[in-house]
Amino acid sequence: MVVRGLQAVSKAQNGVGAFILQCKRLEFNYCEMSGSSRGMKAFLKTRLATFAKENPGVEIVVSPRPKKHPIIRGSYINKREKVVCVRNLEVLQVLQKAELLRDASGDKIKKINKPVQSLNDSVRGIWSPYHAKGEDVYKV
Amino acid sequence: MRRVSRSTWDSLTVPRRCVCGHPIRLNDLLSSSFSTSSSSSSSSSSLSPASPSPSRPSSIPTIRSKPQTTRPFSTTPSLAVIPSLLPTQSAKLAALHGRLELPNKYPLATLGRALIDPTAESEHHLNNDGLSNLGNVLLGYYTSEYLMVQYPRLPYEILKTAMNGYIGPEALAAVGTGWGVEAAFAPGETVDPGLLQFNRVAPGTPMYKVQGGVGFNIPRKRNKMVPNFENNPSVDAALADETPGMKAAREAQRSGQDATTLHLAMASFVRATVAGVYLHAGGLPATKEFVHAHVLSRKLDINRLFQFEQPTRELSRLCVREGFQQPIARLEKETGRYSRHAVFIVGVYSGEEKLGEGQGSSLPEAKIKAAISALKGWYLYSPVTGADLPSKTDGHPGLPFSPAVVDVGDVVS
Repeated sequence: MVVRGLQAVSKAQNGVGAFILQCKRLEFNYCEMSGSSRGMKAFLKTRLATFAKENPGVEIVVSPRPKKHPIIRGSYINKREKVVCVRNLEVLQVLQKAELLRDASGDKIKKINKPVQSLNDSVRGIWSPYHAKGEDVYKV
Repeated sequence: MRRVSRSTWDSLTVPRRCVCGHPIRLNDLLSSSFSTSSSSSSSSSSLSPASPSPSRPSSIPTIRSKPQTTRPFSTTPSLAVIPSLLPTQSAKLAALHGRLELPNKYPLATLGRALIDPTAESEHHLNNDGLSNLGNVLLGYYTSEYLMVQYPRLPYEILKTAMNGYIGPEALAAVGTGWGVEAAFAPGETVDPGLLQFNRVAPGTPMYKVQGGVGFNIPRKRNKMVPNFENNPSVDAALADETPGMKAAREAQRSGQDATTLHLAMASFVRATVAGVYLHAGGLPATKEFVHAHVLSRKLDINRLFQFEQPTRELSRLCVREGFQQPIARLEKETGRYSRHAVFIVGVYSGEEKLGEGQGSSLPEAKIKAAISALKGWYLYSPVTGADLPSKTDGHPGLPFSPAVVDVGDVVS
């Protein structure tokens, strides 16, 4: 008479307990010469240090990308990348894009139809015709 | 622009020490030209608050004029893994530190050391072996305590499985991957300290040869408990499929050289990180908080870990042991007995009290499911008010404490 254990691995529920920011790296690319990088360069000079200090969990990389439009590239824990082109944007608009990438989960954008997604079983249970009594049999 | 933007020149003037106090030599960085020019800049104010070493008085010479050929406390002259980038200079490592919200008391050097697997660096004071052992004990302490207080009647086998589900190598590897830790392709001097370094198992190596590896990737003969892998035709057949490149890699790996898999190395890193929290960030209370936040907050359905062999018989024995009346299965509802889709609802009763209920497409199936439900109801008992975890009093011995229920255990016979 033995009970055996079935092997299982615990599943992550980010935010229950600890929260891990999913963006792990932001790469800022700019061009020294071209005018489309003007806002980006101003952002790097004036805002980036504060931004990095506010987000200690994100690795910040700055590198030139000559003769191209400026971009911000976010790398995520799910091994995906998101790239946003910030050509001709002003400083605050660049900041907005950086925050957008920081807050993203890295997943593909998909339509969420259910209001709640959960690993837990339903608290209310599943309706059963064998357990409902009297008139309630037909009430769902 | 790095986030920790300290120049190499400044960093050279600071004596680096690893966690246990042994100086880490910077063979590759130190040269005579460096030592002459950088002697003036003795003050190094680290931007990172988690600077691993206290600044020395300037009277102590911190730069050796001539690079030593061997390290003190070192048995081998080669400096295999210590990267040329210092832990405090790695943006990846600092980001990992920030992502885990580790306190400033937790030095980057310890986190960097936790990322070095024993298979990458055999020097004991440079790898995470000791930290990992300590972390394993701490994780086992908090997980077993949590499970035993939460489910006092869990059978031993299920307790072991649940422990494995929370802190087994697979689960801890998933934790580490969820932290965004990446692995270096191969260990070496030039690797960023923020990457996990370990020696990979050569492709084609059977899993049973990997230390701590689980499972066999080679089909075994039935009824043969200890297969002979060395002279086994099925092993030879599996190895015959390998390409010349794989074979060369496998044979290039010396027999005594350790290698491990990404999962095992990642699990070992997570254990070492927990140990670092214990050592630097406030002892047991902080460790408990960390383990509960990162490991025990994950979802594991204990309900689905059970596999009974003879549930009806076990329920019967349980009722004898506990002095209940013998369980009787009663048909409660049924529909379509003579159709293709019959449904039977069977309740199992001990006297007047209903112990469990099951639904099945045949009477025996429903009866067995009812017994399983009754047994799970017994084994998964959890105190309603929630008993205190004994570790509550770890940092605060004066706190009021209500002891946990200790059950007589699972049914034996």
